Amino acid sequence: MNFDFTQAEQAFAEEVRAFLRAHPPDTFVIDGMDAGYGSGANSRAFMKTLGAQGWINMCWPTALGGREWPMFMKLVLMEELALAGAPFGPLAGVWQTADAIIELGTERLRRELLPAIARGEATFWQGYSEPDAGSDLLSLKTEARRDGDHWVIRGHKIWSSHAGIASHGLVFARTSREARRSRGFSMFVVANGTPGMDIRPIRSMTGEVYHHEVFLDDVRVSADVMLGPPGEGFQALLNGLDADRFWGRFYKAPALTRVLRQLVDYANTTIVGGAPLAHDPVVRRRLAAVAADIAALRLLFYRAGCLIRDGAPLTYETASAKVYADETGQKLARLGMDLLGIWGPLREGSRWAKLGGQISHLYQTTLGHTIAGGTAEVLRTTVAVRGLGLPAEPRPTAESRAR
Amino acid sequence: MDFRLAPSQQILTTTARAFLRQHYPPEHAQRLALDERGFDEPLWRRMAELGWPGLLIPADLGGSEGSLLDVILLVEEMGRVGLAGPFVASAVVATALVLAKGSPAQQKRLLPALAAGERILSLALVEETGSFDPAAVALECTVPGRLTGRKLFVKDAHVAHELIVAVRTGGAAGLIMVPTDRPGLSRFPLDTISGEKLFEVTFDGVEIRPGDLLGAGGESRESLAEALRAGSLARTAEMVGGAQHVLELAVEHAKMRVQGGRPIGGHQAIQHACADLVRDVDAARALLYVAAWKAGEGRPADADAALAKAYASEACLTVARRGHQIFGAISYCEEHPLHLLHKHIQAASLDFGDAQLHLETVARAIGLNGRS
Repeated sequence: MNFDFTQAEQAFAEEVRAFLRAHPPDTFVIDGMDAGYGSGANSRAFMKTLGAQGWINMCWPTALGGREWPMFMKLVLMEELALAGAPFGPLAGVWQTADAIIELGTERLRRELLPAIARGEATFWQGYSEPDAGSDLLSLKTEARRDGDHWVIRGHKIWSSHAGIASHGLVFARTSREARRSRGFSMFVVANGTPGMDIRPIRSMTGEVYHHEVFLDDVRVSADVMLGPPGEGFQALLNGLDADRFWGRFYKAPALTRVLRQLVDYANTTIVGGAPLAHDPVVRRRLAAVAADIAALRLLFYRAGCLIRDGAPLTYETASAKVYADETGQKLARLGMDLLGIWGPLREGSRWAKLGGQISHLYQTTLGHTIAGGTAEVLRTTVAVRGLGLPAEPRPTAESRAR
Repeated sequence: MDFRLAPSQQILTTTARAFLRQHYPPEHAQRLALDERGFDEPLWRRMAELGWPGLLIPADLGGSEGSLLDVILLVEEMGRVGLAGPFVASAVVATALVLAKGSPAQQKRLLPALAAGERILSLALVEETGSFDPAAVALECTVPGRLTGRKLFVKDAHVAHELIVAVRTGGAAGLIMVPTDRPGLSRFPLDTISGEKLFEVTFDGVEIRPGDLLGAGGESRESLAEALRAGSLARTAEMVGGAQHVLELAVEHAKMRVQGGRPIGGHQAIQHACADLVRDVDAARALLYVAAWKAGEGRPADADAALAKAYASEACLTVARRGHQIFGAISYCEEHPLHLLHKHIQAASLDFGDAQLHLETVARAIGLNGRS
């Protein structure tokens, strides 16, 4: 066992910190809301700056313009960015899409997209969920039919994050009818603005726009924007969701550490009933207990990161860690609201708002985290069945479905 | 960063697991818990033959010179079976004190005997305040002189050859070594639900000689704090090992127990409970290993150890309690292994400071201002 970072990792962390001092995160123009996951807001300007640093493609093969740095450098980068509250919103999704394109992509996808990704110009929305296909994704209705060397996609996607400001969508659609329910799906990388694509914002409970629904009305795409072999999209999607649990939550612990520090500062400097809030034993214990949760959470993600780095099999680790990340975020947000009391619900920009109004924002956004990317219930079942070998619940038969 | 055990650590844990499975079945744990003496001397000697009590001791003093992390991994296996006996008290805490504070002559006299398991020591710290904080020690003693007073919750005092008694002497925190057969020293067992052997020890004008002072005298608070931290980590390891075992038993039960035509583990209510147990154990173990590793490397680790102990106390007790719920009525029986594992975790969670004490250490470490 060894819990130190390597010298190269430490040097890179220092480089990132120096970069953040030179480019303060709050000086970048924001294009899309911070959904509270820990990767901050969506900022095209920040993504382009990361691209200019050569940090988006640093782990790619040199033949594709990368530096072949070890995967752990991505963790170092994300941890430092999250601790600083930088607006790197789309980065993890961009990395995952790039990895999929490097592994499975056609010549065209590689040629057209990888350079744009490396520059921080291409970002992606996920077109997976549908109004009637949430946790039961395989009941989706979006279909693509072959038309010569094109596909024509028709359907309705929803809960697509930042779809309005991304460059491309990852659209998951049925491409053939097969006996096995999990076969016959394919993934398409579809450029925003393709005729027939209508992206409509959904205003969220925070008052901002994060999700979109996307209507695909005979969207015609070239066959070479399909990502991976036709009909084999579901396994690729599952792998992607597995990775998403890791990459889409890794930065939560450092981001929560940042919020915790703000709450500690608030408790130290806020006088309630003649004494600093920090003197209240209940406040001390609750903050200390969440600090322990955050420390444990960080380690569980690094442990999963080591398994990924070492090519060791993962069964339940990322599912378990994701649930923990999301529930710890909810716990901290709840505690923050309790500490702020009457000031808690004031919004950002509101006169008298404490801590910039961001706790009430976090309180709202974290509610969605145990739902998005696999609900806590689905994932606990994954841990039990895949991790512990408990028997899966019997699947409904076609007959009972029809009923 | 690397979470994997070193090859030597793998051998240590594999050997320990196999050994304890063979020599410490649940029936035996139950027998010892109910037995007044509750000490399996032949087993203790076998453990000594394996070199376990000497793990922290340098090779030239008869030990095997392991790291603190090695000890923690071993104690985790002990916690797995709920091993009773003086290992943590003698081979971890008292040994750490003798190593940190003992004079060369005391080390030469005690450490080889401790490594061989021939001598058993235990720390007498807690007083009527119930506090594990060294600053709370009020028992006064002049050296040489006579010691009168009492200590509570002294572990395995009945089998200990000597006690290391935390006292105040000349205004400083001091440690004195008192053989348990010295006139005026009496031991009264405290009856606990776990079967752990805890004692009230009274000193009635016990003679304290110049050589009884551990080390050259002077302030001992730092050595004591370090030994308490090692003890705290060891009890955390017991909790993690115990909780891991509860998890495995509960999952096994959930697979085997059929009600309504299917295993109860096929129901989401049970599945989700089991998923939470995994998280609790994994998280507690990760914090434990990091704290033990840091402490063993000689880095500042007080906050890490406090974090690990506080977390495990909450998480592992939760595992034990949910374990009962998953098992249902059968786990309420005395002959069922669950309750002893549960009580062992419960006892460990309180030893060397409960979660509240350790959370206060964490509170200071994260920067919360104190009252003073």
